[in-house]
Amino acid sequence: MKRLLAVSLFALAAAACHEIPQDAPKPYAGKEDTKAYAGDLFKGDKQKYEQALAQRAQFQNEYNRTGGAKQ
Amino acid sequence: MARMKFICDAERCIECNACATACKNEHEVPWGVNRRRLVTVNDGVPGERSISVACMHCTDAPCMAVCPVDCFYRTEDQIVLHDKDLCIGCGYCFYACPFGAPQFPQAGAFGLRGKMDKCTYCAGGPEENFSVEEFRKYGRNRIAEGKLPACAEMCSTKALLAGDSGVIAKIYKTRVVTRGKGEEIWGWKMAYGGSDKVSDNLGVKA
Repeated sequence: MKRLLAVSLFALAAAACHEIPQDAPKPYAGKEDTKAYAGDLFKGDKQKYEQALAQRAQFQNEYNRTGGAKQ
Repeated sequence: MARMKFICDAERCIECNACATACKNEHEVPWGVNRRRLVTVNDGVPGERSISVACMHCTDAPCMAVCPVDCFYRTEDQIVLHDKDLCIGCGYCFYACPFGAPQFPQAGAFGLRGKMDKCTYCAGGPEENFSVEEFRKYGRNRIAEGKLPACAEMCSTKALLAGDSGVIAKIYKTRVVTRGKGEEIWGWKMAYGGSDKVSDNLGVKA
């Protein structure tokens, strides 16, 4: 009887370790957005768009202008 | 696939508020709504540090998880945006967000809340690109023009970096390695490869 009680208590305690995921992906219910590269500028060319942004991001690196960065 | 993020370098931020001003001006954000703001730690004490805070466009965004009307979505560049036509202004996202990014304009008497407004990473919203409606609801769409967020591009000391996470992490690493301070901080090894070589792969545990 004691063993049965111990096993049931253990099972009950172990059940608390189970975690139900609380952030299951939910579908977006709103309007669909236009792609950023769909306009006249990039004409749907995703690669060109990503390249433009990556190039633009390099303007934030002043070592490109001044040099002197450790490699 | 790009993963757009912000990094704010606290060693460089001089609390000039140019980022917040640029954001306000670019999107004609109404009074009382601050998509971006400055947070200063130990203000007035020698060694104080400031960082510029806005929506961090989280990879696992809590606002998305708690929204009862599912008005949040993620663009191909991993920018977290929302549909204002669907938003009911409940404020759950405000409680869920660790950065205090969601803002609520006062829409009427007795403190009535309007629809949520937040940083869009200058990527507009679910309206036709460059349309009047898009500007009215979400602000300017600089991303579709091939530009980065106005806050980062206007940053006078380039403390605030915006762009693909891989690209800006490399810029930041170059900076830290060159100035010789910052590698000792917790998490550096995990995030930046653990060595003082800029050429090392980022994100690889040392």
